[in-house]
Amino acid sequence: MIKRLPLHTKILIGMTLGLVFGMICIQFPSLSGFTIDYIKPIGTIFIRGLKMIAVPLVLASLIIGVANIGDISKLTRMGGKTLLIFIVTTIISITIGLSIVAIVKPGHKLPEETRTNLMELYDTNAAGKIDFAEQVKSRGPLQPLVDMVPDNIFLATTSNSAMLQVVFFAIIIGIALLKVPKEKGAPVIAFFDGLNDVIVKVVEFIMLIAPYGVFGLIASLMIEIAGDDPSKAWELLYALLWYSLTVIAGMLIMMVAIYPLLLKMFSTVNVLDFFKGMRPAMLLGFSTSSSTATLPVTMERVEKHLGVSEEVASFVLPLGATINMNGTSLYQGVSAIFIAQALGLDLSLGSQLMIVLTATLAAVGTAGVPGAGLVMLVIVLEAVGIPAAGIALIMAPERILDMIRTMINISGDAAVSVVVASSENAIDKEVIKEHVND
Amino acid sequence: MKKLPLHTKIVIGLVLGVIWAFASSSLGWNEFTINWIDPFGTIFIRLLKFIAVPLVLFSIINGISGLSDVSSLGRLGAKTIFAYMITTFLAIGVGLLFVNVIKPGSHVDETQRIKNRLSYEIWLQDNNMGLSQDGKSFLSDPEYNKFLTEAQSEREMSEQERKNLEDKMAKAEETKESSPLQFVVDMVPENIILSISNNQLMLQVIFFAIFFGVTIVLLPKETVAPVVGFVDAVNSVFLKMVDIVMKAAPFFVFALLAGVVAKMADTPAEVFEIFLGLGSYSLTLLGGLFFVVFVMYPLILKILTKDFSYTGFFKKMSPAQFLAFSTSSSAATLPVTMECVEKGLGVPRKISSFVLPIGATVNMDGTSLHQAVAVIFMAQLHFIDLTIGQQLTIVLTASLASIGAAAVPSAGLIMMIVVLQSVGLNPAWVAIIFPVDRFLDMCRTVVNVTGDATVSTLIAKSEGELTPVD
Repeated sequence: MIKRLPLHTKILIGMTLGLVFGMICIQFPSLSGFTIDYIKPIGTIFIRGLKMIAVPLVLASLIIGVANIGDISKLTRMGGKTLLIFIVTTIISITIGLSIVAIVKPGHKLPEETRTNLMELYDTNAAGKIDFAEQVKSRGPLQPLVDMVPDNIFLATTSNSAMLQVVFFAIIIGIALLKVPKEKGAPVIAFFDGLNDVIVKVVEFIMLIAPYGVFGLIASLMIEIAGDDPSKAWELLYALLWYSLTVIAGMLIMMVAIYPLLLKMFSTVNVLDFFKGMRPAMLLGFSTSSSTATLPVTMERVEKHLGVSEEVASFVLPLGATINMNGTSLYQGVSAIFIAQALGLDLSLGSQLMIVLTATLAAVGTAGVPGAGLVMLVIVLEAVGIPAAGIALIMAPERILDMIRTMINISGDAAVSVVVASSENAIDKEVIKEHVND
Repeated sequence: MKKLPLHTKIVIGLVLGVIWAFASSSLGWNEFTINWIDPFGTIFIRLLKFIAVPLVLFSIINGISGLSDVSSLGRLGAKTIFAYMITTFLAIGVGLLFVNVIKPGSHVDETQRIKNRLSYEIWLQDNNMGLSQDGKSFLSDPEYNKFLTEAQSEREMSEQERKNLEDKMAKAEETKESSPLQFVVDMVPENIILSISNNQLMLQVIFFAIFFGVTIVLLPKETVAPVVGFVDAVNSVFLKMVDIVMKAAPFFVFALLAGVVAKMADTPAEVFEIFLGLGSYSLTLLGGLFFVVFVMYPLILKILTKDFSYTGFFKKMSPAQFLAFSTSSSAATLPVTMECVEKGLGVPRKISSFVLPIGATVNMDGTSLHQAVAVIFMAQLHFIDLTIGQQLTIVLTASLASIGAAAVPSAGLIMMIVVLQSVGLNPAWVAIIFPVDRFLDMCRTVVNVTGDATVSTLIAKSEGELTPVD
């Protein structure tokens, strides 16, 4: 019976039980010690597992990702256009996320006392951060660019906070692999391809303990924040509500402003028709929270109901499902800043740009991996020096937000495919007229 | 010369090294030995250590990815851990037997022991720890009053000794404070490349390698073929490197031993003094270690595997054993242990590559035997009678400590502090055994390595995969 439940349902159950169990522990302080000693380690192991696989995942998947993308863009003009739009929409979505979280400040909904509490809990060394900020001030404006280039690639891979250097290296290797003669590059590509498959599988295995890990993380978080004062737990939940609303608001802006604008400016398809035609795919994305699983339906809707030619759809959509994740990158921007706010860290503009870069680039490689959202968030957090254990904070609403962001991802892919098709004159308007409401 | 088998050559190197050290110290050449010969010993240890991590990583992945189904791995793992626990318990039992029969601590002058006892009780009072384990109080006994003032002016430790001790105590404190599950948490790497870059995080590398290997088995063959091929090839390269390094082993062992002995003392007389000072303790421990290596392991193997040859086993294992003795590091010896076990004892690689690295980090028969003997020796030295029950507590703590010690560098003495504290003895006592520890460490490592080899043979036998080699 339990085995049959899909993983995401189990995670959801883990979260709820974790919340409930945490609340119970707060009422019975004798349970708290036991929870911290024997249940929290499960959560810690889960987070460590995600961290363990982050560097190899980025390295292998990005090398393969770049090697494959380059291949396509060399073949067609369409490839370059598609990539450009993907990158632009991703940057727009992250920017929206960062702006809205800066305005709403959901992390500041936590009372001051709880935030200091959290700071101690995750050992965020405030003094160290100030030092760091001082250093940043005295550096030249191009220093972030300099910092992207690793001094020693193995040293860079030993530190989770040097992820951007690893990303840089992986992209260079990927490009270099395209430029060497095929027969020479083939064994290397085959190796990284196999390695990538293995690592993706490893992520899957780590996700198997996610329900228990999430349970442990949330239960211990509740205890550590609230101590013996249940009202603090409610305050935490209140802040999480604000955080969720911020993410949802950002996604709504994408849905009702950015995509319609994109369609209006660069395509011939009516915005209302677009949403009508895409509705089933969006709903499926919402319930499965996997763009890959929804892909067949997305393709069918885009081709048969929006009139995009098969050539364009079969190229843009699978690519989009793996590398274009507007919702996910928006979510990452908001989450990283929220955690920073909750832990009382002030992120400089430079750090925020780093989040944009890391999130965008990491998305190129890792998007197709189930559970990659969490690994990527770990990557983003470590890149700007926020303790990754802070993820526990946002575990609770993660599942629901995952459903919504998949919907955005799918809409984004579809919108891009329509725009590309319009520019290539590959749209059949008759199809829209006849089948859009089917 | 060329015809001599490798282990004979290593023995020659070892003996020559010791002779050289004695000769050089009596001729006043010690500085020359330390400056110009000892570095080669260090080079040797470094060569072996840099091979160890990649070899562990690749050989485990290679070994496991060669398994046909992963479910056998769970059985293999359970068996391995079980076997290591049993041998550790047996080794501790041997230690307890030796130390209780020989009573090395009671060979010391009676009045000195009474003084020791009194200063221990003063220490207990100072730390509000109540009565001693045996419930007696020498302090309140008027018969011993005359020794009291002398006991209070007990020997002072030198500045360096104290600092050294404080460092170790701090580490022991950290080990004790964390959650009981911390050692499981510590097995999961935070960044796998970081774990690879640190020899002390070997257990994390093992964890990753097992995980990675299992994943390879579960994926379709054609997708992972390039990865398997790569791992296999790199693994062979590293094994070959071990071969090449071992060709020069006799010379390196000579340099290593010459350096070690030269550093211990300036004149041969001093060397003997060190050993005489703690003679009864060292002899008891050595007796226990010898018994484990030459009686207990062979007996286990004889009983559980039918076609066991006593001389054959030691002939095949001797390169690894001599190496363990001269490097006193089971991790550095690991590459050679693997080769000896595979080529000499006929354990298939898929088993040895799994069992031995785990053993090198987790299984510490010699170390835990040492814990038991040393702690009880110290108690005897301080006139403290421990019941069998209390000794069993020590056994339990010591064996658990030896498992947890895997992640702690120079674990032996730190874990001994934990053990001493857990039974209410003064942890500062480890200073008593500091002087001879370097030499005894060499002997313990031989036991650890032999134990690993024994267990890997047993596991191979129980899987029916032991192929006899002549």
